[in-house]
Amino acid sequence: MSDPILQLKQVKKTIGNKQIIKGLDFEVYEGEVFGFLGPNGAGKTTTIRMLVGLMSLTEGDVVIKGTSIRNNYKKAVQHVGGIVENPELYSFMSGWKNLLHYARMIPGISKERIDEVVKLVGLENRIKEKVGKYSLGMRQRLGIAQALLHKPSILILDEPTNGLDPSGIREIRSYIRRLAREDGVAVIVSSHILSEMEMMCDRIGVIKEGELLSIQSVESALQQPEQRDITLEVQQRERARKILSEWLNRPVKIEKDSLAFKMDRDDVPEMIRRLVDENIDVYSVNMYRSTLEDKFLDLIGERAVD
Amino acid sequence: MINFLQLVKNEQMKLFSQRSTWIMITIISVLTIAFGIFMKVDGSMVAGEVPAGPDWKNELREQNAQLTSQKGPEDGIKYSSLTDVRMNEYRIENDIRPTTYNVWKFLHENLNNISILSLFTIIVAGGVVANEFKWGTIKLLLIRPISRSKILLSKFVSVFLFAGIMLVFLYGTAFLIGSILFGMNGFSDPYLYRQGGDIQQAHVFIHTVFQYLISMVNLVMMGTFAFMISTVFRNTSLAIGVPIFLMMGGNSIILFLSDKEWVKYILFANTDLRKFLEGSPMIQDLTISFSITVLIVYFFVFVSLSWYSFTKRDVAST
Repeated sequence: MSDPILQLKQVKKTIGNKQIIKGLDFEVYEGEVFGFLGPNGAGKTTTIRMLVGLMSLTEGDVVIKGTSIRNNYKKAVQHVGGIVENPELYSFMSGWKNLLHYARMIPGISKERIDEVVKLVGLENRIKEKVGKYSLGMRQRLGIAQALLHKPSILILDEPTNGLDPSGIREIRSYIRRLAREDGVAVIVSSHILSEMEMMCDRIGVIKEGELLSIQSVESALQQPEQRDITLEVQQRERARKILSEWLNRPVKIEKDSLAFKMDRDDVPEMIRRLVDENIDVYSVNMYRSTLEDKFLDLIGERAVD
Repeated sequence: MINFLQLVKNEQMKLFSQRSTWIMITIISVLTIAFGIFMKVDGSMVAGEVPAGPDWKNELREQNAQLTSQKGPEDGIKYSSLTDVRMNEYRIENDIRPTTYNVWKFLHENLNNISILSLFTIIVAGGVVANEFKWGTIKLLLIRPISRSKILLSKFVSVFLFAGIMLVFLYGTAFLIGSILFGMNGFSDPYLYRQGGDIQQAHVFIHTVFQYLISMVNLVMMGTFAFMISTVFRNTSLAIGVPIFLMMGGNSIILFLSDKEWVKYILFANTDLRKFLEGSPMIQDLTISFSITVLIVYFFVFVSLSWYSFTKRDVAST
């Protein structure tokens, strides 16, 4: 992979006597959607606030496109567009005036660029209306529009789907994917909703109590040809159990009226053939893949009892 | 620099997009018009009473005789009557004919509207930073490649740009109303005022402009105070309420503490510089240079506190 666009180096934050963030290290690359996942109060928003300069770093450093936000905040943050928590805009001004307001804060943004961004998020028809009249979904889109004005290389979205209805969520998701794929923008998305992250992100960092527990690649987590949980409904359970445990060389449990065990997905046809050869009738084969949710709960769960 | 002007433009855009700003403008216009109509209709202070005929010197002497015969409650001539008497004597001595009421006098009397302007400035200054926190927009404002100092300065400048615009508007409306109702004659007539025991004369226009400007001192100080509270406490109500309370109650507080040695260091004892020009200050040993020094010190304290709070503190979750 190329150089990372965003790098966190041992980022720590202490407020009062309490260490909120305990040393975060991760990188985000071009064209990647990085999910930042954790339960409420895990430190997601604090981390995001530090990334965009709203909060100072107690220790460590954040490097954006090779520039440290400690040494040259202005240069570093130039490449960043973001929404922190809800897209709170000036409700007494029109959407267009809101965008004009943010456009004026960065040199070189033309009126044409504003129109372009408005089109991108599909607000052409309502842009002259006051933001106070917008629905939450429209405000979220306007929030994204203001973040995209200066063509940032990295887009930071804190809970971008908070409070949106399912169609709004799908809309936002497709924007985010498109930005990453087509424009090579690195996107950081924070959320505590797992299923959403699965659909949106390439990699997911799991944070809990200010610590990064692990970084999972979504594709490998879901498509790896690893062991699946199988439940098998057959006649002659006891005989089937013996045959399978010998063949698989691992324990096979009998649960209620079916068999439960783990095996490779690729070996399933072979297993059925063997059972049929042995004259065992197979009524059903169910396969479960462990979802991100399971992994997440595993990760969170193992530390839940502190 | 262009960048900074853009920031000020932004602040003005936000300010003039809010309904409350237009309500303030309406109030100022309505007050000025109402005041003008009142002066015109009431009339007692306007044309009739002024002895402007060919025999004006005798009329003034008569007036003086009348005024001196009226005894005040302490068996002496009242201060205001004394001023009138002295002014009449000055007119007779220096051959300055009294003028009828005109737009210039109306402008001068509109001076009191500046305290309303101060009130509006406090409201704007109290909201300019705290509202961004209240609305949550501060988060989007501070993630731009612009230093926080610059953003804060643009807000500060914007508040007083607003005050300036309102002052010009107030002056302009008063001029318009005054010239329609009272006419524009008498521009070259000197304006008389009392300083200490003496009567002084000045050009009416220059004197009025000067008075407007000097009245702005209070406005600037209270505005800066509200701005400081707005930035430090990030709370609009507090930033508007406290300065208004102190502005209203400031004089009573000074009066109440007037026997204390340190009273002269209190901000409100020093904000009304007009007292040095006309009449006498509330605290005896106050001089104009002392007052200005105190004001400058307060100003820097307010500005530094704002700056420190705005640039150094985290924008934490609400």
